[in-house]
Amino acid sequence: MPPRLNITTFTRSIAFRPQPRLQWPARSAARCTPSQCRLYSDANAADRSKRVDAKPMEHVSEEKAAVAEAMGEQGPDMSQGTPVEEVVKGDKAAQEKLPKVMQDKIKAQSNSAPKGSRSYSTTTTQTSGSGGLDMGLVDLKSVATVPETPGLKFQMPTLPLPKDGHVKHRYDPVVEQVTNLLMRHGEKSVAQRNMALILQHLRTSPIPTINPQKPLLPGAPPPSHLPLNPILYLTLAIDSVAPVMRIRSQRGAAGGGVALQIPVPLGQRQRRRAAVQWIMGAASKRRNMGSGKGSFAQRIAQELIAVVQGTSSIWERRNAIHKLGVAARANIVLPRKK
Amino acid sequence: MPPSTCLRSLSQLSLDASTHRSIVPRLLHPRVACFSTSATHYAQAPKKKGTTAAPKKGVKSLNTKKGKQASGGDSGKRPAQGERKALRKRIVLSNNNALEVSSLKDLSKESAFSEQNEGQVMGLPEHVVDALRAVEAFKTTQGWSLFRRPAVLMRKEAIQVAKLFKEVEDSASGQQKKTLRRILSGERMSGKSTLLLQGLTIGFLRDWFVISLPEAQDIVNAHTDYAPLPKSEPMQYTQDTYTANLLQQILKSNGSFLESAKLITKPDLPLPLSAKATLKELVALGIANPEVSWPVFVALWNELSQPGRPPILLAVDGLSHMMGDSKYMSADVKPVHAYDLTIIRLFIDHLSGQKQLPNGGIVLGATSQSNAPTSPALDFCVGVAEAQQKTPDNVPQWNPYKKVDVRVMEALKDLNSEKSDFDVIKVGGLSKEEARAIMEYYAESGMLRHQINDRFVNEKWSLAGMGNIGELEKASVRLRL
Repeated sequence: MPPRLNITTFTRSIAFRPQPRLQWPARSAARCTPSQCRLYSDANAADRSKRVDAKPMEHVSEEKAAVAEAMGEQGPDMSQGTPVEEVVKGDKAAQEKLPKVMQDKIKAQSNSAPKGSRSYSTTTTQTSGSGGLDMGLVDLKSVATVPETPGLKFQMPTLPLPKDGHVKHRYDPVVEQVTNLLMRHGEKSVAQRNMALILQHLRTSPIPTINPQKPLLPGAPPPSHLPLNPILYLTLAIDSVAPVMRIRSQRGAAGGGVALQIPVPLGQRQRRRAAVQWIMGAASKRRNMGSGKGSFAQRIAQELIAVVQGTSSIWERRNAIHKLGVAARANIVLPRKK
Repeated sequence: MPPSTCLRSLSQLSLDASTHRSIVPRLLHPRVACFSTSATHYAQAPKKKGTTAAPKKGVKSLNTKKGKQASGGDSGKRPAQGERKALRKRIVLSNNNALEVSSLKDLSKESAFSEQNEGQVMGLPEHVVDALRAVEAFKTTQGWSLFRRPAVLMRKEAIQVAKLFKEVEDSASGQQKKTLRRILSGERMSGKSTLLLQGLTIGFLRDWFVISLPEAQDIVNAHTDYAPLPKSEPMQYTQDTYTANLLQQILKSNGSFLESAKLITKPDLPLPLSAKATLKELVALGIANPEVSWPVFVALWNELSQPGRPPILLAVDGLSHMMGDSKYMSADVKPVHAYDLTIIRLFIDHLSGQKQLPNGGIVLGATSQSNAPTSPALDFCVGVAEAQQKTPDNVPQWNPYKKVDVRVMEALKDLNSEKSDFDVIKVGGLSKEEARAIMEYYAESGMLRHQINDRFVNEKWSLAGMGNIGELEKASVRLRL
């Protein structure tokens, strides 16, 4: 007779939850809210603890006072304390005890955000480099003059070094990556021709109309600038629609034969790769209108334009992944802090 | 002494063969002969259950599974007949995104011959663009679709062509009117077709009568109908549909002259035509009735040969296609030589100098390097002419092991003589100044995002194989890695 209590099932039926980590300091809401960007998918993961934006924020009144002092203006009186609204912010129990006028005001404020918007973000911004998008202007910056050093056979290089200065990194990284992803059977020259045709199609197509429902990357240039800068156009389309995470299905972790879905952050190249593969899949489903060599390139270019205009079905795909990722965010097991 | 028990037990085994069915047959009745393994070796491997051979490549297997769509990306309505080709052959001459170049000046009738234009980018005026489009002078491989409007670089060779036009026009007042003949040769993507287009532009600007055969391949590849020309010895062939189409192109591009000019001669046509008709009506007759298109063309040519008519520019692209057999067959199933097609014969007669243009004119032929059948005679003649210009003491010799086309050799023999009216224009690389001018135009159009300095120009000029303009465009504008 088998034992009534099966030990193996016993262990599995316990829902696995990470224990609350007391070692991790609870993040203050004030630190999270001002910048809604998630900075972990960075090209080069650098130590960010020393940066200004990683330091704890001052209190509202203190900050204003500091700014006012720097500007030489009259700041808030520090001896008087902060307004009541700021004190009770985020404290539900305290808010209930406020007078009705202030309660109504808080309600009106909380309703002001559009209905569909989330309190968290599913976009990333680049933290490396200059921060903004690469505008594709090569060699147009004024070069700092280097003082002449005696005893040099050749002159000192002028800094900053030109973008195409290194022979192995002379082309735009996005263009290079997309070219490699376009390549089939190792035919790189064909892929390069397709890439050139895509960029040519982008620069001859009319100015895109941006759909505000499907926002592009923050800091994107106005749409009228895009056709003249096809590499930026391509980068913008790919980076805007790129997913921030992928869903990893961990079998046996959830119990009951269900795979535990764990969102995993993607790096910059990985995100671009996912986006390009979606775009290529959508492009291959498009109807082939012409004939000859350039038809696939043309379809990819049309898909890129559809992405920027927000008409592409890839956006739904991205939103679905993000929705799933948000729903499954409780499954993330954070590393134990030593 | 061997133990007897073994033998006994063996004999016992054979007796009890029925009882121990499982062991005995293996021991006593081996399935294969002991000293040969070939039977097992060659025996077919037992087929595994459930696996079937993969379907052969290219063979459609019956798909019985439900709900499984036939794979393949685009399923849907196919494009209509001719739509794909139209898309492929579409010529786009304008890019609304490109910036207007403020410093761009148009070529005009007066400034067409000006030598100040050398090394400058000049725009093409509207009416010339229409005419050039009508004669199919723009090619799909050229980069017209990137810029706001068509513009050309007046390079050294273009000025050379302009000088030919000037020479012919200067001789018009005298008794002896000149017929100059030139072959444009050069490397792949060095701008031969564009130079031909520049020649056509000057022709249109100076009100010449321009007859352009846009692609020699279309004449000889047997895609249009042909018919023997009656009373011709040796047999010649007319191409009615092609000739009607050519007449239409001529009407579109030279419409203003044809409209104003009246008939002088009395053409012998099977169709009625009033004696006071304009040339336009004559040409329209040929367009409407392709079966008389060749007699109409001959009548038009006779009209143009009368004194007082403008000089003629005869141009053809893809010259080597007409230097050999065509794809047409004669009645005794022999390939028809391209020179036996009437249109090509007209061109070749004037290119070889057998006939002169009565009102003067220029015959221009551009070779092609990317789409050209082998024509040893043409290659040799052009090579010799190039060598005579460059290194007169080192001229190539004819390779006797190559097959010579005597008629081609005969037609091009003037090329290697000392006469100046038949020559080769070698379209080479741009100079650095010219490269800089065209790159500044690219940058001003917003197509090249880079500061144009000496270093950048030198770099691209070198990458483009010492200034090959097609490669230069590819490297700087087309973003081709």
